[in-house]
Amino acid sequence: MDRRTFVKSAGGVMLAAASGGLPAPALSQGANARTLRFVPQANLANFDPIWGTQYVVRNAAALVWDTLYGVDETLTPKRQMVESETVSPDGLVWTFKLRAGMKFHDGSPVLAKDAVQSLVRWSARDPMGLMIRALQNELVAVDDLTFRWSLKKPYPKMLLALGKNNSPCTFIMPERIAKTDPFQQITEFVGSGPMKFVRNEWVPGAKAVFEKFADYKPRDEKASWLAGGKRIMVDRIEWVIMPDPATASAALQNGEVDWWENPLSDLVPVLKANRNINVDIADPLGNIGAFRMNHLHPPFDNVKIRRAVLAAMNQEDYMRAIVGDDNNLWKPLPGFFTPGTPLYTESGGEILKMKSLDAAKKLLQEGGYSNQPVTCVVAQDLPVLKAMGEVTADLLKKMGMNVDFVATDWGTVGARRAQKTPPGQGGWNMFHTWHAGADCINPAPYTAVRGSGDKAWFGWPNSPGVEKEVENWFEASSLDDEKAAIARLNKAALEDVVFAPTGFFLTYQAWRKNVSGVTKGPLPFFWGVSKA
Amino acid sequence: MLAFIVRRIIATIPVMGFVALFVFSLLYIAPGDPAAVIAGDQASPADVERIRAGLGLDRPYLVRFAEWLFRVLQGDLGTSIFTSLPVTQLIAQRIEPTVSLMVVTLLFAIVVAVPMGVIAAWKANTWIDRVAMAFAVFGFSVPVFVVGYLLAYIFALKLDWLPVQGYTPLSAGIGPWLENLILPSVTLGMVYIALIARITRASMLEVLQQDYIRTARSKGVAQPSILFIHALKNAAIPVVTVIGIGIALLIGGAVVTESVFAIPGLGRLTVDAILRRDYPVIQGVVLMFSFVYVVINLVVDIIYTLLDPRIRY
Repeated sequence: MDRRTFVKSAGGVMLAAASGGLPAPALSQGANARTLRFVPQANLANFDPIWGTQYVVRNAAALVWDTLYGVDETLTPKRQMVESETVSPDGLVWTFKLRAGMKFHDGSPVLAKDAVQSLVRWSARDPMGLMIRALQNELVAVDDLTFRWSLKKPYPKMLLALGKNNSPCTFIMPERIAKTDPFQQITEFVGSGPMKFVRNEWVPGAKAVFEKFADYKPRDEKASWLAGGKRIMVDRIEWVIMPDPATASAALQNGEVDWWENPLSDLVPVLKANRNINVDIADPLGNIGAFRMNHLHPPFDNVKIRRAVLAAMNQEDYMRAIVGDDNNLWKPLPGFFTPGTPLYTESGGEILKMKSLDAAKKLLQEGGYSNQPVTCVVAQDLPVLKAMGEVTADLLKKMGMNVDFVATDWGTVGARRAQKTPPGQGGWNMFHTWHAGADCINPAPYTAVRGSGDKAWFGWPNSPGVEKEVENWFEASSLDDEKAAIARLNKAALEDVVFAPTGFFLTYQAWRKNVSGVTKGPLPFFWGVSKA
Repeated sequence: MLAFIVRRIIATIPVMGFVALFVFSLLYIAPGDPAAVIAGDQASPADVERIRAGLGLDRPYLVRFAEWLFRVLQGDLGTSIFTSLPVTQLIAQRIEPTVSLMVVTLLFAIVVAVPMGVIAAWKANTWIDRVAMAFAVFGFSVPVFVVGYLLAYIFALKLDWLPVQGYTPLSAGIGPWLENLILPSVTLGMVYIALIARITRASMLEVLQQDYIRTARSKGVAQPSILFIHALKNAAIPVVTVIGIGIALLIGGAVVTESVFAIPGLGRLTVDAILRRDYPVIQGVVLMFSFVYVVINLVVDIIYTLLDPRIRY
């Protein structure tokens, strides 16, 4: 008997005596082992993976909704809900056949019409979906299990679009739910995934509960990321939301939770020292730190000034500010794409290796910088952004630039970065962010690297060179062609300074040793995870 | 008395109206955009704009305020922008942990602080008084989160006596309910104990010097009876006042305490809503807290009459 049990028993006896014998519920050892308690990266504030595209929503949605295809750990899309597909020789007509016998959580069968309507909703919000939609002739259910997508022009990345792990994924919902306007939130959470969402136990900001779906039929293949047999080894998964990292750390050490998705790097040494806890890299695809300069207003409307900042920056300063002294957690990134993935390239990356204040000052002079203030908006409530913001402010001052450092919260940055007005009228010159490495493996989900001017991501870079290579990549039919297009894209993006990458960094995850089956990946995969 | 209560309840209406206008206006001019948070980091500006329009956030201030006020008057606090759940449901989900935390904290603080203040006054300028007041200074000075982490480290991580975090509903039994509330209540109660103990001491020092106390002593009335029956009742008015005022402290402290101990209460609901700019939730919670505060002040005023028959309204 441990001390807590003893204290509880003694207290229970006293309280029972005092209260006339009110019983305290006991959680049996077996029931405890069948419930996995998980601390996610953020609060599950809404649960519509198409309407809200935050990663935390996607991660929870992957339990409840299944996808037509899913990428495995080699980033290859594999069949998931689909049994087979055919594509016409001209590449214009895709015909998909669903696996038979799949059911939604309400007991109804999964039919082609459900897939069609889900794709209609998804394609209104997803960048790849929008591209397919623009090429679409027709998307129709042919019979109960077959649907057809016919296009005006071939789309070679079709399977990647349907199986990618970037938000929003192609989660399949019953037709009646998928008919909801994609800009309105769904109110029923019925999927065909391996777990059911227990809506009446959902306390947004505190807890979300998932129960094993008995009628789920996993594929025969071994599970690998979003692909293969999603076998759930516990009856119940509880997401316990903990806004305070110190509390999450203490709860994990105390055995009150089993798995913590993203421990703060400062707390990792404490967790590593605990013999009951495993600590390992969470996602091998990591994250790419970034700051964006506003191309619409001085001084960053001038490419020489933007290049001056790239020439001066030392990515190690940024990475050390984020991850500390742990050299396993970062590497320099003289480019835009995720290291270790097929399209990674350093083409044109020399400027990021210069680390030269002299070169930067020369470029500033050539660019005619005349001490205009640089409004640098920095979120103080997210440690990664705060750290990067402080490094940048210091860098700009060393370069001789006039920094207007605006310390605020992420909610305000989120609103302010959308303003195209000049900095003095509510706009901005610079803000920091980071991108999941999984979103930076190719241009399809990577909106941040696009250079489409007014339609581009915040900062609105205009880079025809980048846009041309994005098109070339989409049309490439071999990996070599894809690599060539991306190398040219990387070079163009650095020449135009679409944004400034501050380095590549990894984060840890931590779990108790009585939990097994935890894998590394771009999201927490619960299939195959068991608890002793 | 009844007329007084009715008058006070009627006076609550303009107060609540002012609070409603103030909160709505403050949120309207505050920077931040829930649509940007909902859309996620990969969303295009056009998507953010469309979500904003879908939420009705692009409409004029007066239209939005009028609609909200009309709903509030019907008892409808609106719907959360993020969860699509009614604000009343969100508050209902969170009210038990916060009320439990506040009640246990209040009881704990009163049980500790009042005797502490009484004894400190009785033993004024002795080591007992100095220890009690040093404790009070400590309670005032050390931030709630420091006390929380310290207690969690000692009693949860090191001694393994109590859980680090969470809340168990009262329906699961008094034992489990109390087990989760001990550390947060002690944490939150520190500042409250300090406040009540100091006021009690000061008030008691004044009363203990009055003639009727000397008379009681000369008649041979026992010391505990003098302190806790004769003196305390007359010293209680400022203590009751400070307990009432302290409810505001408790509400503020609950925000931090609920975060440190991961208690799913109204404090965390408020902070989450503020960070995400979930306007209907912020408005609903602030309105509710304001109402509670007005009611507490009314209750305090009524208690005055029970403690001192000379007070009439």
